[in-house]
Amino acid sequence: MSLLDKHSIRQSENLERTMKSVQRWVAAAIVIGLMVGSTALLAGEMKVDAATASEAIAQAEAAQKKADSVNGEWRDTGKFIKNAKKAAEAGDYAKAIRLAKKAESEGNLGYQQAVSQSELKIPSYFKAMYQ
Amino acid sequence: MDPVEPMQTQLLTATGRETMKKLLISLAVLLITAVSAQAGPEEDRMAFIKYYKSKFPNVPMEEYANGAYAIDPVGRENWEAIEEFPPYEPFIDRGQVMWETPFANGKGYKDCFPDGPVIAHHYPHWDKKQKMVMTLPLALNQCREANGEKPLKYKKGPINNILSYIAFQSRGQVVNVKVPMDDPDAVAAYEDGKKFYFTRRGQLNFSCASCHVQNTGLKVRTEILSPSVGHVTHWPTYRSKVDWSTVGTLHRRFTGCNKNIRAKPMKAQGPEYRNLEYFLSYLSNGLELNGPGARK
Repeated sequence: MSLLDKHSIRQSENLERTMKSVQRWVAAAIVIGLMVGSTALLAGEMKVDAATASEAIAQAEAAQKKADSVNGEWRDTGKFIKNAKKAAEAGDYAKAIRLAKKAESEGNLGYQQAVSQSELKIPSYFKAMYQ
Repeated sequence: MDPVEPMQTQLLTATGRETMKKLLISLAVLLITAVSAQAGPEEDRMAFIKYYKSKFPNVPMEEYANGAYAIDPVGRENWEAIEEFPPYEPFIDRGQVMWETPFANGKGYKDCFPDGPVIAHHYPHWDKKQKMVMTLPLALNQCREANGEKPLKYKKGPINNILSYIAFQSRGQVVNVKVPMDDPDAVAAYEDGKKFYFTRRGQLNFSCASCHVQNTGLKVRTEILSPSVGHVTHWPTYRSKVDWSTVGTLHRRFTGCNKNIRAKPMKAQGPEYRNLEYFLSYLSNGLELNGPGARK
């Protein structure tokens, strides 16, 4: 084996080692980042108290009312709000917030659904029948 | 003459033809959209009939009065067996008693409906005076209230007795709903019902048309989806399903449909459902009434 060959083998081994080291650092950074991020997220979600639950329920009720104003309310929105109130009364604020958020989302979607169809839309498969 | 000119002319003609083709297609699409959006009641009815005829070419028109059993041979066998001992019979008898029993003030249904009890085919109709769609249950309750009686509930209970009696007496009468086209309020009510029918609602994002036009004849669980022509011919109806096991009104059925698609139901006999009934009933014009009905 020539000196040149030995040199190039050493060089490629060094490069491989460096790459492995970089990979390890990147992986560690990702893991730490994810941990920090999820902790922050959890911390954000973990704010569960009576005031937050009450606010979430009020927002859900407003969304429900908005959907109802355009006849777009969904079947279970009211039930979710009712159960959220019960959970809040029982001190289960996490459950109350979860249900209220669900109801708020339904209210917003029901409103959008109704508003997007404010004009009569005959489905494409049926339009041809008018010819 | 420039030798290039004919080629240019040819190219221009080809481009022109292409543009013209696109324009014509756009115009045709616009025309169909405009026609279907502005179609009147009769155009709507004919469109529905055309659709169902293309889907079920062997079903005679009069069969649509039997709802899903016009297109479901197995279900029909069951239904015919049930009809041998109709589960709605006791309700008809109780309804007859109601019809003949005077109110506390000495008057009765007979006074409100002197042509009765064969009157089901007169409903729903446009009430010019009250500027609203008048349905039979609403007219019965207006009669009661005018005579100092409490109105009956619109989905369950005794209203189904009197409705069963009137429906039975009215069997064989033909649906003949009219939309006075010279009355913009009547046309608006019909159009409102039509819009309700085609509007997607609820968490499942279904419209009435999703089940009863697009997927008619297909199954939802074990049930065949019925065509909308014939939806109104057989009310009130005895449903054998566990949470009915009794006779119920058309608006109770509307409520159930809306709940199935996870939409909040409207109020029974509120304007939305009455207008929907107006639209649906028009679609069944020409079919015989055969209520009360029996369904699964």
